Amino acid sequence: MKIRYALAGVMLASSMIGGSAYAADLIAVITPSHDNPFFKAEAEGAEAKAKGLGYDVISLVHDDDANKQSQLIDTAIARGAKAIVLDNAGADATVAAVKKAKEAGIPSFLIDREINASGIALAQIVSNNYQGAQLGGQQFVKLMGEKGNYVELVGKESDTNAGIRSKGYHDVIDEYPDMKMVSRQSANWDQQQAFQKMESILQANPNIKGVISGNDTMAMGAEAALKAAGRSDIIVVGFDGSNDVRDSIKQGGIKATVLQPAYREAQLAVEQADAYIKTKAAPKSEKQLMDCVLITPSNAAKLETFELKQ
Amino acid sequence: MRWVACAALLLAAIALTSCRFIATANVPALANEGAGHGAAPFDPDKSVTSIWAPKVVPYFEKKGGPFVQVRELAAKSPDEAGARFGYRAKSEGTPWTLMTRIDGVVVGADTESRAATIDIDVSGQGKTDAVVQIGPAIRGTAIRDALGFVSFNDFTNQIDFAQFGKAFNTYVYHETLEKLPRESLIGRKVSVLGAYPLVSTADTPLVTPVAIIIGPKP
Repeated sequence: MKIRYALAGVMLASSMIGGSAYAADLIAVITPSHDNPFFKAEAEGAEAKAKGLGYDVISLVHDDDANKQSQLIDTAIARGAKAIVLDNAGADATVAAVKKAKEAGIPSFLIDREINASGIALAQIVSNNYQGAQLGGQQFVKLMGEKGNYVELVGKESDTNAGIRSKGYHDVIDEYPDMKMVSRQSANWDQQQAFQKMESILQANPNIKGVISGNDTMAMGAEAALKAAGRSDIIVVGFDGSNDVRDSIKQGGIKATVLQPAYREAQLAVEQADAYIKTKAAPKSEKQLMDCVLITPSNAAKLETFELKQ
Repeated sequence: MRWVACAALLLAAIALTSCRFIATANVPALANEGAGHGAAPFDPDKSVTSIWAPKVVPYFEKKGGPFVQVRELAAKSPDEAGARFGYRAKSEGTPWTLMTRIDGVVVGADTESRAATIDIDVSGQGKTDAVVQIGPAIRGTAIRDALGFVSFNDFTNQIDFAQFGKAFNTYVYHETLEKLPRESLIGRKVSVLGAYPLVSTADTPLVTPVAIIIGPKP
């Protein structure tokens, strides 16, 4: 231990002189697959902020596999990371992995998804999904004229965000007795699955008027299937605020989405990690909600990589 | 029963002769269950029922400011208005939720929509100063978000926290808003104790009531 402290002293002295010959502290950023631009954006947001603050970064993906996530946490521990920024692979399955990191002395700063335990991670910074889903639900009801048959595409069940968005939608939509849900299926946040599900749902229910989706990639899949079937009359509403959906909104395809401030959330997690590393100051509140914003043709042009430009 | 006294004062204040009083009291005095997770499964409706009369209404009575004062301070300094009349969780990207007492006249009403609202003129210029939700569909979670003694940290996850927020809206609808008149509202005097999120000072406040009195037809 003494040797390590001595070494740290040398590193500190060196960095004070301005040298960068020694490795900087490491922050591990672990997210689901970057195939979904949402996860790519938050990983990049975290990386950019961490590098800007002088850290080295390893960026890893768990592909929504809790076992893989556990191995990646081991990797972060073995590499001596000073903090982990994590968008996790399941609200229950992740508790043990975060605990393992904590026991190894590495604090975790969760983004986007919650875990069903508090006091283990130092921060859980998540979008106010319920507030956002209510905005999306209200816009959907308005676009539908408060009536008609509709379909709901739900996200991955192990992710609390799938349930909370669905609840937010239904707490609004179910107030309207003339809104009739004819099918509700999970497409696991996935574009290709949403395309296939939408094709078969449409065959069974040609008389639908709208589709409300738990995220943007599924909305893109559904929109593509509807377009292929010549049913561009059907209203699609998404959730995330991706550039793909922004472009679709601008071209009159998808009608609305809900922006999650994902880029900022990732940066905020790194800022809080940095504060903890430097001063041992934990965030004031572990669970932090950030409000979402409705995106329609009127403000879509201001949207860029999960941030609304002023 | 504190609201009854308060209502009487309000009645006197707006000098209504035969005002229709909508009681929010008569809540069974349940033990305070607390809002968080524990051994028993979380029951949001029971939690709200248990804290409504002893904690929620008194909190609004204490912190709520006269509408014009709240609006003017919010326009000048949202943080000052928030500290004095409101609450927000300490995370970035969360707006203040302000508590206010509104006395005015109904100048517009949308009772066609399930998300019914009334427009209230406070300044007497015939313009809408505040829009008040009267349900059955009630938007947002303003009542929950105004309460400084409620924290997201005390809930297992967003779903429980959301259900808790929704339970306040359900409660106020069934206890109060359901009994309000829905016809010929224009021109009636109205008194509201409620909360609104300060999303933008340019927006007309969308107020969720915890108590409301609508006067007789003029």
